[in-house]
Amino acid sequence: MGLEKLGWLADTALGHWVVSSAAIWPTLECIHFVSLCFFMGGMLMIDLRLTGFFRDPCTGLVNRLLGLVIGAFLVNFTTGALFFAGNATKYIDNPAFELKLSLMVLAGLNALYFKFRLAHLLATEEVTGDSKFVGYFSLLLWAGVIVCGRMITFFAR
Amino acid sequence: MNFLRILESTAFSEWVLTSMLGFPTLIALHSIGMAVAAGLTIVVTLYLYRFVAGIADAKLPGILHIAMWGFLLNLVTGLAIFVPRGTEYLANVTFLVKMLLVLVSAAILVWLKSHVAQLASKSVDVCNSVPARRLSLVSSATWIGAIVTGRLIAYLGSVY
Repeated sequence: MGLEKLGWLADTALGHWVVSSAAIWPTLECIHFVSLCFFMGGMLMIDLRLTGFFRDPCTGLVNRLLGLVIGAFLVNFTTGALFFAGNATKYIDNPAFELKLSLMVLAGLNALYFKFRLAHLLATEEVTGDSKFVGYFSLLLWAGVIVCGRMITFFAR
Repeated sequence: MNFLRILESTAFSEWVLTSMLGFPTLIALHSIGMAVAAGLTIVVTLYLYRFVAGIADAKLPGILHIAMWGFLLNLVTGLAIFVPRGTEYLANVTFLVKMLLVLVSAAILVWLKSHVAQLASKSVDVCNSVPARRLSLVSSATWIGAIVTGRLIAYLGSVY
């Protein structure tokens, strides 16, 4: 996947900082998992609306939740990037990590499709085949991201 | 303790510890259950404090029901992870704190679902229920505490 080109990150001050104390890595893990829960909570609500679990017009709800989801994702992504910087060899050539990144890209494209093609549905009670597909696909992709994330340790060289 | 040692020596424990499908799969499902239970509890808390709005109160019990399924997945996989190393876990103070926090979170989740369903059926605004708001906040906090202590079990084990 070309991640080996980022191996130099381990030799940066940031990479050294992540592993410089016994407390930093566990603290980052805690932040990573707590932000994951905030992210998944908001994401689940949006996906439940798209799949028709509830059909209330909810543009306001989704706009507020998108703030939570994007904020939580940024925290999650930042802590994830710090893990990479601190222990790049664990992630380079790791099939679980590569699959996780691929699923995240797919989930991002799925979210863009929602934003540009389906967001107008939120102002109505309508649920379409498209919105159901996007909702279920999103649930599946993010579950896959969590599974692959937990598998990274077991596939590390 | 004897019972735990018997459990630790079963074929199931051996499978969890040695199979590629054992511990890794269980820990992955454990995380999904945690994210669903804690994530939806946090969103419901934000709803009760009116940080988010836009769904009918009557839908809240259904959302909390999904959170309970997440907790069930978390519980079952957690038990399966516990069985092969039960004596070790019970000697770990961080694990015991985590269990206490999970117990509080789960008890509140069950209460909250029935309380919210009761209020919604009477068309009472659930956001005006002070116990629902306060306890959902406690539940969100204890879920976060359970996640943090869960992550720290491996790191703080040797301290105690």
